[in-house]
Amino acid sequence: MAVFDTLGISGSGLLVHRKWLDAVSDNISNINTATRTNEDAFKERFIVARAVDYGSGEGGVRAARAEFGSGQGRLVYDPTHPLADKDGMVKYPDIDLGGQMTQLLMAQRGYQANLAVVERATTAYQAALQLGRR
Amino acid sequence: MIGDVTSTALHAALTGLAERSRVTADNIANVNTPGFLAGRTDFESALSGALSNGEKPSISRGTVARSLEPTNTNGNNVNLDSETVIATETGLRYQLALNALDGKYSVLRTALRTS
Repeated sequence: MAVFDTLGISGSGLLVHRKWLDAVSDNISNINTATRTNEDAFKERFIVARAVDYGSGEGGVRAARAEFGSGQGRLVYDPTHPLADKDGMVKYPDIDLGGQMTQLLMAQRGYQANLAVVERATTAYQAALQLGRR
Repeated sequence: MIGDVTSTALHAALTGLAERSRVTADNIANVNTPGFLAGRTDFESALSGALSNGEKPSISRGTVARSLEPTNTNGNNVNLDSETVIATETGLRYQLALNALDGKYSVLRTALRTS
């Protein structure tokens, strides 16, 4: 058991939730990215979280990998668009903004919860470092 | 005298409480991890068992069991409210044990002081 385990564990939680925030902001920023109809649309990114060494002494969480949504997208009629095909269609990613905002909220709250643990652990460790001073 | 039952018991309590705060941090870090079951630490039963038998308690991190509370749809059963309550309570009890150990040490220092 390392001395300041709690800080490392909350740090891993912060990292995973920040990666999730990054993925969501990437998805939202590309929500209107148009592509040609014969290409894949922007693919929604998901972060897959896994517990580190579940059930053993070690704790924390890690972002195991990223998964991508479908590149199928949705077709929009916009003949003036420079990327439009001969039928006047362009492709936009099929990302649900409501779903992304929900995920944003979950990632933000998870990040805040981990940050609160960091603060609490720091207080406890600081008190322990004062032991025997008086 | 210096490593007597009082300071050993407080040391055991501090070790157990540190483990509980570690497990709580693990639970909160995994608050959004699918399939994660919250961990629950128990060191009190071993500690109080040893103390009621008049033995010097052993310093151990206690046992971690997985919570059997119902999970939500992604198989996770971490409840942020109860984890926060546990974290607060564990922090306060940690401070309490530290203060008691501090008191014990100051008594020892008084005894060691030459007149």
